[in-house]
Amino acid sequence: MSYRWRARIVLSAALVVLFTAMPSNGQTPARTSSQIPRMPDGKPNFTGLWQALGTANWDIRDHGAQPGPFIQLGATGAMPAGQGIVEGGEIPYTPAASAKQKENLQNRMKLDPEVKCYMPGIPRANYMAFPFQIVESQRDIAFAYEYATANRVVNMGKFREGAVDTWMGTSNGHWEGDTLVVDVSGLNGNSWFDRSGNFQTENTHVVERFTLGDADHINYEATIEDKTIYTRPWKISTVFYRRKEKNAQLNEFKCVEFVEELIYGDLKKK
Amino acid sequence: MRHPFLMSIASLVAVAAIFALTAEPAIGQTAKAAPAAKNGTQPKTPWGDPDLQGTWTSDDCIGTPLNRPANLGEKLYYTEEELAQRQTQLARQQENDRQETVTPGQRVGTGPPAHWGERARRPCKQTSLVVDPPNGRTPDLLPEAKTRRIPEGAGNNNPKADSWEDFSYYIRCITRGVTGSIFPVIYGNGQQIVQAPGYVTILQEMVHEARVIPVDGRPHASPNIRSYMGDARGHWEGNTLVVETTNFLGDRTGIAGNGGGTPTSDALKLTERYTRTGPNEIRYEVTIDDPKTFVAPFKVAFPLTQEPGYQNFEYACHEGNYAMFDSLSGARALEKRAAEAAKKK
Repeated sequence: MSYRWRARIVLSAALVVLFTAMPSNGQTPARTSSQIPRMPDGKPNFTGLWQALGTANWDIRDHGAQPGPFIQLGATGAMPAGQGIVEGGEIPYTPAASAKQKENLQNRMKLDPEVKCYMPGIPRANYMAFPFQIVESQRDIAFAYEYATANRVVNMGKFREGAVDTWMGTSNGHWEGDTLVVDVSGLNGNSWFDRSGNFQTENTHVVERFTLGDADHINYEATIEDKTIYTRPWKISTVFYRRKEKNAQLNEFKCVEFVEELIYGDLKKK
Repeated sequence: MRHPFLMSIASLVAVAAIFALTAEPAIGQTAKAAPAAKNGTQPKTPWGDPDLQGTWTSDDCIGTPLNRPANLGEKLYYTEEELAQRQTQLARQQENDRQETVTPGQRVGTGPPAHWGERARRPCKQTSLVVDPPNGRTPDLLPEAKTRRIPEGAGNNNPKADSWEDFSYYIRCITRGVTGSIFPVIYGNGQQIVQAPGYVTILQEMVHEARVIPVDGRPHASPNIRSYMGDARGHWEGNTLVVETTNFLGDRTGIAGNGGGTPTSDALKLTERYTRTGPNEIRYEVTIDDPKTFVAPFKVAFPLTQEPGYQNFEYACHEGNYAMFDSLSGARALEKRAAEAAKKK
């Protein structure tokens, strides 16, 4: 069985478990095994290298396989099929926002911030095809993402509003039982959710919930609200897997160097 | 060469710093600071490692030269009298910065106001950042290193701008390298340390680096995996965090502020030592050993301090790199104008 098939089955199984095990409002703390790593004070310890499987970075909605935009890339550039991570399947865009998403999709090679090596924002940073490292202290919790060296520190102290809007937003966290709840505000609105033009604005507010299902899986949910483009709050849910390889570690993907020709090429001396 | 967009973020930091200087108790984040080391005791994390957490800055040695002026010989530290003089200068500078802030339109010119930079809060005791060899100067370059190209657009007011490759890795918003990301510069000197069992992470404001340093005894990654920031491994020696970093890409950044100067080689090995010397101070030392660049290893050291209200901000460098657009498009416009003028003759 191919790696991809196995991955897909694992992901589907995990999603089935997730959808059936969790009440739809998601407010009840998810069931947690007692066999999870814990900090000296008993809180779950999320420290480690994590990665999402699946194809949400291509499209957070259900999608079939499609050809890629460049024939030179052949099969390697094609979009694999995948189950979406949006609960209920659809993003409740207003009609105007829905039109904008379609326009984004048409022009994605030009408009997708990922193409230009811009910081991916939240929640997208979590489910790109790159690992991320969580470093959990007795106070704050750092997230270091491999893609573009993006990072954020979740402030676990007194709630602090961001001084300015940013790509990665301002993260304030607290514990609800064994669930880490992270409130993300102050997003600058330039980020997308995926390569399919699904987008947010500077009014978007994200509340993430991280729960260890067992030592090696994080059940992840995020509620997204933004009255300016969605008709109601909506939710995504997926799973992050602990990277178990003996030598797994966060590597460096400083992609600026890979996009300079694309971004500045027409300004080069002829 | 500046990043105009980033300046606004720097200005926020500077304004925060000025507030901190003028109104400490009101906005002081002292409650956030690490538990105080009681006269020589070192705070520990709940899992028993020395606790270096907090947001630190190398601000106090802003302006201290990497290499000691030759006339100072082997004098590493200023006298008490000289420090008092420097304290007076700092106070005057702070007053000037405040005047600039409260008197709009007072300053003329096209450069940013001085208060956009960060400032030392107390005078740096050292005459140079290099502390060893005793003359406080970077050892000579090997002949092979002298031929390495230093990008012309690295801080030059009239840079060659044929391509982005004429600019430094800093101006290109790629990286400043390990030492360039902690050596004091005009702003963005924040170093936020977050620890977990088995890890120390250092989040650096400018160009948003996140160094994830395993302290669990695992071996280095394969030497075939090369990177700008290298492969870091840490361990504890008493209360000191020792970090050894190897696996660098060669010929990218140098050992100077913002990664400037002659680029180091792929043989570079850095050994950093972080030691808490007080509730709000860490002594930072780094031994630079690059047998393909310098005739001998040398050591740089300076204090990192924790300051009320000081915090890291997101430094979206590449995302807002208008300086690169403007430099390249400006150079092309000048060429076009020159070509048209030549045609008219």
